[in-house]
Amino acid sequence: MFSLRERIQKWKKAHEVSIKELKFILFRIRKSPLSLLGTFIIAFYIIIAILAPILAPPQPSWDIFKNPNPFIIPDAYNSVDPTPPSPQHPFGITVEGYDIYYGCIWGTITAFRVGVMVVALSLIIGLAVGIIAGYYGGLVDEILMRFTDIIICFPGLILAMAFVVALPPALTLDAPTILIPITVVIALITLLQFLKRTSKRFANISLAITLVLAVVSALIMFGIVPKINVVQMPLTRLDKVLIALILVGWPGYARVIRGEVLRARSEDYVEAAKAIGASDSRIIFKHIVPNTIYPILILASLDIGSIVLTAAALSFLGIGAEPSYADWGQLVQKCEPYMLGVDIVRYWYIWLIPGAFIFIFGLGWNLLGDAIRDVLDPTLRRR
Amino acid sequence: MGLREYIIRRIIMIIPIIIGAVILIFAVVQLIPPGSRALLYVRTERDLQFLDQIIKAHKLDASPVEQFADWLRQILEGNFGWTRVGRGPVLNVMFAKWPATIEIVMFAAPLTIIFGIILGVISAVHRDKLPDHITRLISIAGYSLPSFWLGLILLSLTYITTGTVITGRVSNSVVNIVKSQAWHTYTGLYTIDGIINGRFDVVLDALKHLALPVIVITTINMAGIIRLMRSSMLEALTKNYIITAKAKGLKNTKVINKHARRNALIPVVTIAGLMVASMLSGLIITETVFAFEGVGQWAAQCATQLDIAGVIGFTIFTGLLFVISNLIVDILYAYIDPRIRLG
Repeated sequence: MFSLRERIQKWKKAHEVSIKELKFILFRIRKSPLSLLGTFIIAFYIIIAILAPILAPPQPSWDIFKNPNPFIIPDAYNSVDPTPPSPQHPFGITVEGYDIYYGCIWGTITAFRVGVMVVALSLIIGLAVGIIAGYYGGLVDEILMRFTDIIICFPGLILAMAFVVALPPALTLDAPTILIPITVVIALITLLQFLKRTSKRFANISLAITLVLAVVSALIMFGIVPKINVVQMPLTRLDKVLIALILVGWPGYARVIRGEVLRARSEDYVEAAKAIGASDSRIIFKHIVPNTIYPILILASLDIGSIVLTAAALSFLGIGAEPSYADWGQLVQKCEPYMLGVDIVRYWYIWLIPGAFIFIFGLGWNLLGDAIRDVLDPTLRRR
Repeated sequence: MGLREYIIRRIIMIIPIIIGAVILIFAVVQLIPPGSRALLYVRTERDLQFLDQIIKAHKLDASPVEQFADWLRQILEGNFGWTRVGRGPVLNVMFAKWPATIEIVMFAAPLTIIFGIILGVISAVHRDKLPDHITRLISIAGYSLPSFWLGLILLSLTYITTGTVITGRVSNSVVNIVKSQAWHTYTGLYTIDGIINGRFDVVLDALKHLALPVIVITTINMAGIIRLMRSSMLEALTKNYIITAKAKGLKNTKVINKHARRNALIPVVTIAGLMVASMLSGLIITETVFAFEGVGQWAAQCATQLDIAGVIGFTIFTGLLFVISNLIVDILYAYIDPRIRLG
């Protein structure tokens, strides 16, 4: 048994390079005034998000039974015209009576939620695809990368728009639609295992799974077993935006990760691991992933800013969250009826304040990102 | 590999991508219920009454495999369906609206590139000094600015300073000139047609309306070029030929302009393809804010009003445009830098 201190020591020693890297990044951030500003901005937003229930108490009081969703902006203040800022409503009220201050504060949480969820889920898909493509190479790589090419050949916002418009109000997946792709993927893996002849046992297991799945899907297809809807999930409008952004976002990560894996694959330590007979999964998860993933994780987390910006653009077009949802883009959209006249100046508070929230949020992430990209770029660092 | 061989190879390489893109769009279309999907097959206004027959004729409630060939055939025939928003066949409506969008790009693209390169060079040459910090702030702000917000700010500022709200492609009085018999349409771009027709008042009015959208598009797209130019310039400045040039006593400005900048420009060409995509995305928002009757505004309206045929047609078309522009950029790049052809 090791004592706690010894364990920490051991951990430190094992991750010496990563810790050094992190320290260097922090040092660079401290040195550059712009990235320091970015850090402060993000910290400020995080504080707003945490304190949202205190800064803008939901009305009626936040109660799971009475008011289960605090993200719906209260619209109790019926008014025909937008009302300018006043002590009760610091940022004013929109035309349908939505309190802008409440929307901005709770919109911060929405922004973080959209950004973090889209980045995290696209990263997971990107990691899986990128690692498989990069490590196995050959035909698998070719197929997966052509698939990313196809998605990348559309401008992001435009494809996201098409997805949002096309997605149905409820997602229903029946058994064959889920089973058949899974069967195909496992069959491919089986084929690879047999071609590579690395571990016979694993290949046999996956062959067995493929056969079982194929039989089950065939039974369902021919109507012997009744069709069952496995997943039946209503999609809110915000869900649609999230799904669209994830579908558009993952190929970028898959490409970067594949490149990194390709580079790592030819390194000596991978050769060494292969030579002593390590399995594919061991090489991938013990050797390649730890050596490639950290810079990508950092860079990806910085995309939160631009993702929130795209989501806001969708909201502004009127295909974002529900009209009453606390979302910055949604609030700006409320000025649409006045856009073509002089009223745009009279009702400045509807668009200027929520827009500033979006801008400063994006600015914070990009300020930080700019510095970190420089640090992580080996051709530019340490000069 | 020669340049010709490279071009042929690149063209062959995009064919599977285009086929894949078409399949992807078909998959997206499958998410839409048959009733709305039928609009994609409508050719004339009269057909709108026979949606039920269309669903039957094209087997829209059958399995996707049976539908695909049928759908593909009519796409190849150039029928993208009927747009409710544009009240016409998608392709006709789209082509009628492209000149307006091209007019914005025609001004915005050169401005973006010129300002981007200039600011990028300034930033790199004065690395970590005040000019660098200011340019980087401009570039980062450009990245972070929501285009609709910038547009609204500019609209308000013009109202406060001039007392008028400038929206649309031309003023109402000019619309009558453009629609009159005496006006000959050559390109659909009011600025160029105005010069050919000799109506400089039209040109001036069109330019006035173009100014704000062009400023928005330029500001937002400039950021990427500044960033790339800066890092590419920083790299060029450390090369041995720069040290040689400095060692033989050349003036600093000459070293920067003649030796470093020229070499730093090469990677910037690659971003031009990406710029097309971000400009198209930006145009959807910008045209909506300024009520500029281009493709972007139409696409945005289609999305809001769930006009499926319009959105799908626009997506296919922009995808194709983006693939082709990337192809051109790649060929240009191979032409400038022969090392690429070997890859």
